[in-house]
Amino acid sequence: MKTSAVFSAFLSLLSLASAASPDRKSSSSTSTTLPATFKPPQVFKNANLVHVISVEKNYVKENINVLVQNVDELPQDEYYVPFTADQMSRLGGVEVKDRKDSSVGPFVVETVEIDQESDIQYLRIRLPKPLAPGAQQTLGISYYLLKAYKPLPASIKQDEAQYLSFSFSAYCPSAYTTTKQKTEVKFPSSTIPDYTRLPGSGEIEEFPQKLGSKLTYGPFDEKPAGATQSVSVRFEFNKPVTHVSRLERDIEVSHWGGNIAFEERYTLHHRGANLSSLFNRVKWQQSQYYQPATTFALKELKFPLRVGSADPYYTDVIGNVSTSRFRSNKREALLEIKPRYPVFGGWKYPFTIGWNSDAKNFLRRTAAGGFVLNVPFLEGPKQAEGVEYEQVQVRVILPEGAENVKYHTTIPSQSITEAGVEIHQTFLDTIGRTALVIKARNLVDDLRDRELVVTYDYPFASVLRKPLIVFGSAMAVFVGAWVLGHVELKFDTKRK
Amino acid sequence: MSKSSGKVKAGQLWSKNKDELTKQLAELKTELSQLRIQKIVSSGTKLTKIHDIRKSIARVLTVINAKQRAQLRLFYKNKKYLPLDLRAKQTRAIRRRLSPEDASRVLEKTKKRQTHFPQRKFAVKPVIFCCCFLPLQLQQSFGLLPGVSAFRLQTGERQHHHPSPQATMSADPLQTLASVGKGKSTRGVLRVIILALIAGAAIASRLFSVILDPWFNFRATKYLVANGFYNFWDWFDDRTWHPLGRVTGGTLYPGLMVTSGVIYHALRALRIPVDIRNICVLLAPAFSGLTAIAAYLLTNEMTPSSSAGLLAALFMGIAPGYISRSVAGSYDNEAIAIFLLVFTFYLWIKALKQGSMLWGALCALSYGYMVASWGGYAFITCLLPLHAFVLICMGRYSTRLYVAYTTWYALGTLASMQIPFVGFLPVKTSEHMPALGIFGFLQLLAFLDYVRSAIPSRQFQTFLWVFAGATFGIGLLGLVIATSAGFIAPWSGRFYSLWDTGYAKIHIPIIASVSEHQPTAWPAFFFDLNMLIWLFPVGVYLCFQELADEHVFIVVYALFGSYFAGVMVRLMLTLTPVVCIAAAIAVSTLLDTYLSTKSPKPEETLATEGSEGKKAAKSSLKSTSKPVVGVYGLWEKSMMVGALGVYLLLFVLHCTWVTSNAYSSPSVVLASRLPDGSQHIIDDYREAYQWLRQNTREDAKIMSWWDYGYQIGGMADRPTLVDNNTWNNTHIATVGKAMSSSEEVSYPIMRQHEVDYVLVVFGGLLGYSGDDINKFLWMVRIAEGIWPDEVNERSFFTSRGEYRVDGEASETMKNSLMYKMSYYNYNNLFPPGQAVDRMRQARLPEVGPSLSTLEEAFTSENWIIRIYKVKDLDNLGRDHMSAAAFDRGHKKKKATKKKGPRALRVE
Repeated sequence: MKTSAVFSAFLSLLSLASAASPDRKSSSSTSTTLPATFKPPQVFKNANLVHVISVEKNYVKENINVLVQNVDELPQDEYYVPFTADQMSRLGGVEVKDRKDSSVGPFVVETVEIDQESDIQYLRIRLPKPLAPGAQQTLGISYYLLKAYKPLPASIKQDEAQYLSFSFSAYCPSAYTTTKQKTEVKFPSSTIPDYTRLPGSGEIEEFPQKLGSKLTYGPFDEKPAGATQSVSVRFEFNKPVTHVSRLERDIEVSHWGGNIAFEERYTLHHRGANLSSLFNRVKWQQSQYYQPATTFALKELKFPLRVGSADPYYTDVIGNVSTSRFRSNKREALLEIKPRYPVFGGWKYPFTIGWNSDAKNFLRRTAAGGFVLNVPFLEGPKQAEGVEYEQVQVRVILPEGAENVKYHTTIPSQSITEAGVEIHQTFLDTIGRTALVIKARNLVDDLRDRELVVTYDYPFASVLRKPLIVFGSAMAVFVGAWVLGHVELKFDTKRK
Repeated sequence: MSKSSGKVKAGQLWSKNKDELTKQLAELKTELSQLRIQKIVSSGTKLTKIHDIRKSIARVLTVINAKQRAQLRLFYKNKKYLPLDLRAKQTRAIRRRLSPEDASRVLEKTKKRQTHFPQRKFAVKPVIFCCCFLPLQLQQSFGLLPGVSAFRLQTGERQHHHPSPQATMSADPLQTLASVGKGKSTRGVLRVIILALIAGAAIASRLFSVILDPWFNFRATKYLVANGFYNFWDWFDDRTWHPLGRVTGGTLYPGLMVTSGVIYHALRALRIPVDIRNICVLLAPAFSGLTAIAAYLLTNEMTPSSSAGLLAALFMGIAPGYISRSVAGSYDNEAIAIFLLVFTFYLWIKALKQGSMLWGALCALSYGYMVASWGGYAFITCLLPLHAFVLICMGRYSTRLYVAYTTWYALGTLASMQIPFVGFLPVKTSEHMPALGIFGFLQLLAFLDYVRSAIPSRQFQTFLWVFAGATFGIGLLGLVIATSAGFIAPWSGRFYSLWDTGYAKIHIPIIASVSEHQPTAWPAFFFDLNMLIWLFPVGVYLCFQELADEHVFIVVYALFGSYFAGVMVRLMLTLTPVVCIAAAIAVSTLLDTYLSTKSPKPEETLATEGSEGKKAAKSSLKSTSKPVVGVYGLWEKSMMVGALGVYLLLFVLHCTWVTSNAYSSPSVVLASRLPDGSQHIIDDYREAYQWLRQNTREDAKIMSWWDYGYQIGGMADRPTLVDNNTWNNTHIATVGKAMSSSEEVSYPIMRQHEVDYVLVVFGGLLGYSGDDINKFLWMVRIAEGIWPDEVNERSFFTSRGEYRVDGEASETMKNSLMYKMSYYNYNNLFPPGQAVDRMRQARLPEVGPSLSTLEEAFTSENWIIRIYKVKDLDNLGRDHMSAAAFDRGHKKKKATKKKGPRALRVE
């Protein structure tokens, strides 16, 4: 009864919140199912388009800067971006901004729900103001693609360098005619042994143009909607391809203890090249001695935690892992952990870390009497080569009896798949604690600084509930024991 | 004469005096004789008068008699003794009764005992001692070393000064001390607090380091918690003993897992979501706290002095002999079994003392729990009958014994048969026969007792002999027949090894290969028990002095336990409780004697001498010179108590040291110190197990020596061929054979058993002694036991009979799979020709072994664990030797090309 009440209250407030902040959306309320034959109305034209693909990290970051023009007679406010179904499932962190006017803030982006069988899926961007006929607007669309690379060769020796290949379209996929466009690809190094060459146009005789660690395809002339030109690149990436298939993050708030406990459970994979011959410790030790930096194996993870974090722990399914270091001072709280073994391509290493922090660093009391909790949505490792997260579940466990829970996050809304309030039963709970569960997908470590704000009410009666119940039950036990001790079981009281 | 009277009236006679009466009597007698003559000649007519005359004579005699007694009473009125016939008759019992005066008299011996072993009135002495030790113990166990030295000084001072102010106080100082703890309830509370502190110390001292050890038990517990009790009961584990599997539910003692499971669910119900792992880790320390309390209870049954109980609890709590098996994370059956052992003994003593069926039943319950928990229950099964038997032999058969033993045996045996692993063993195997025999014997005794009360004693003698002879003969015959027919299993090999320490080495190498099954070395006793080991005989001697039924138990237990502790290191554990109890009795007796304030005070005698002068003293010489046994001297008392205090302190230090150094170094993790003093942890086992768990197929079979079976099953979660549950010797021998044969022989064996990976432990790089090369000879021996033709221990030694691993090792040794796997690729770690095995201090041959059927899959950071992958069949249908030779031939050129410059760089 109470649960459902809390939940419905939460939902209503959630919708209020979404009305207030433009990036908030409830996925079920606005997306519509369309047939597989759906084609976006040809009401726009891409006057100029620059597509920047960055493969510097172990995920792909793409940036499409496009100057759109309304070619219809009526004002339009829906701009569609096409993706393949496969890309759609690996797509995350979509953000659309007006390049000219940063005050407008991120636009609303939704997935157009069309038939699952269809190969082409669309994202719909809602312009905050309908674009007048003939008018132009510059959109900056950025997103991340996960699991984008394939190691080539697929298995290499332990001391060889790792090469990854990545395929994409030289023409930026678009649902509209594009007058002028170019595609830039940024690489981690200038070692790019293979890339598809295309016949040039204009004064350039061959695409791409190579400039240091950058390849440029284009500029191309006008291309119709849906035009593609498949190209692939192969580049050196002698760093681990770290992929977290699932991250469970628990944030437990304790008002009595004045403490916030974090626990993160990672299922970590290395998606790079496999070993062609099995692991050789001699070679590993020698290479670590002579050139410690160059290997594609994952040796260490660094977690810059919030200043003031304390009591970290690092365990896995077998128990405590002794290879970790925690540096904590006034300026930093850096947790460095090493996996039990170097993680090579195709290997897996699940682990758990956790730490505590003083509640006053994160928790504030509002003037209205409620509480506001402001924590990072993601606090994963900070690696030079980047980390990608396929599934993320953040669970904020509030004290028993907390109600009226609302949340707000700066994580792109397209990545959030589900959010709800659950009941979580732990230490000496009677009615259970309120837990806000947010599920997200396809996040990357670029989004580490995004925050999660949770507001809730915690009435005084609930604060006192636990001590009273514990005291009451302890008293009951003592009284019970006293009564039992005075029950005379013997028939004859004189004899002993 | 005939005219004389008719009947005589007694009333008339009273007035006559003695002479007249005698005269009348004579007359009557003559008349009677005349009448008798007439009767014979049958001439008289008044023959009927005879009757009257006889009555008359009687009356006269009565009156004479009465007069005489009256006279005598008068005569003896104020005399000291009364003739017997004048005394009151009453009943025989009343006549034989001691006079109140006599009854109240006390023997000299009793008087002494009362002075020297008075009923304890205060629990204050142990409080002081315990309070001195416990904080120290706690502090040390938490590693607050800087604080300890200061604290030790303090406590030491308190320890030394404590007796002196007490002794100098002329008034009863204990009373002043105990004025706080005067009331019964206050003392009770004090005792409870002390016990709680001791239990706390026992738990705290076990928390030096935490590593869950027998992983199988943990795995089983997880299974129980996840799948429920009934599934656990029927659990068939196909992930061990591949391809045989193991009927786990029917071949384990479920007590430990069920206990953890119950605690887990109870806490869950209270909404305390403790991880099952934490319960398993902390179970042993928690139960050691309970053991301390059980030891207190048991000791309290032995002696009225409650300080002995508290001391026993303290000893039990921190004795290294017990800590060795109950540190945090040591999740073995012994973790709860020792508590159950002591508690069962306590209940047994209680049942025996009271002859109570209730306590007997409780004892049986506790025994049943013990059977469910540990194979060592046989210790109780043998000790209780032995105790009963000794009591009978001492002529102490009583209904109390009968009730206690019969209740225990009947209920306990039924309870034990509920465990599937035990099943019908209690009526089938020889280990359990003494208990059954004594049970029968007690029935006979009870029957004889009944018969004796029913028939006269002479007949009883003959009855006894015939009956006893017949019973013994029939019983023996039955036993022989049952044994030879196979109803009763003969003594098992493990049992023989208890009697003959050399037996296992010859017949069962698998038992002998375990270090904890070796005979105990003498220093181990001191190491595990410290000063208790010399206090122990004193305590047993004190038990002899009183020798009530319960003291007999301690004596029997001491003998039995000492023997077994000498046979097997592991059984030190069963000796520890009795050592603690006996030592506690000894120490508490000493303390009671020397801390006693009741002994006559020298000041008093001095005072009497001073006041009354020498004459008075001389006159009352006899009374004052009565020998009063006691210790008067202040100096002696404080010396003695101080010495004892020092010993107790040393004991605590020793226990702490042993626990932190010897028993808290888990086998899985090795800790060492770096030159800068920081701790370096060598975690190779878990590194390799985690690698196996994450990066091999879910059902990849791992072959390793059985020592690592449980760990692989638990930590790596992979099926194994053999594990620490050594139920199938042949299977172990198969693994031993695979390890000790050459690749050509081993490869088919591994293929047949679907082995995917082989795991070996190698300590050569680190100098780690517990590695497989050091265990290798046991593998060879066990394999030889099954395949004497194929494996030969001798061929692993050099011609001079040395066990070597360097260039001079025998060919068989060099070709064995174990040798190759251990040293494969090891040379490359060193400059050419300088490879050294640091464990065996051997320089290895320049060219290392080559492997053709296996390939190295993983080697841990410090090379302790090496894992090899068994190659699949060759793609071209060649055998692996030729394929490998081909590859090598091919690679040779490349290798020289590649290696040339690198070798230069290295040098």
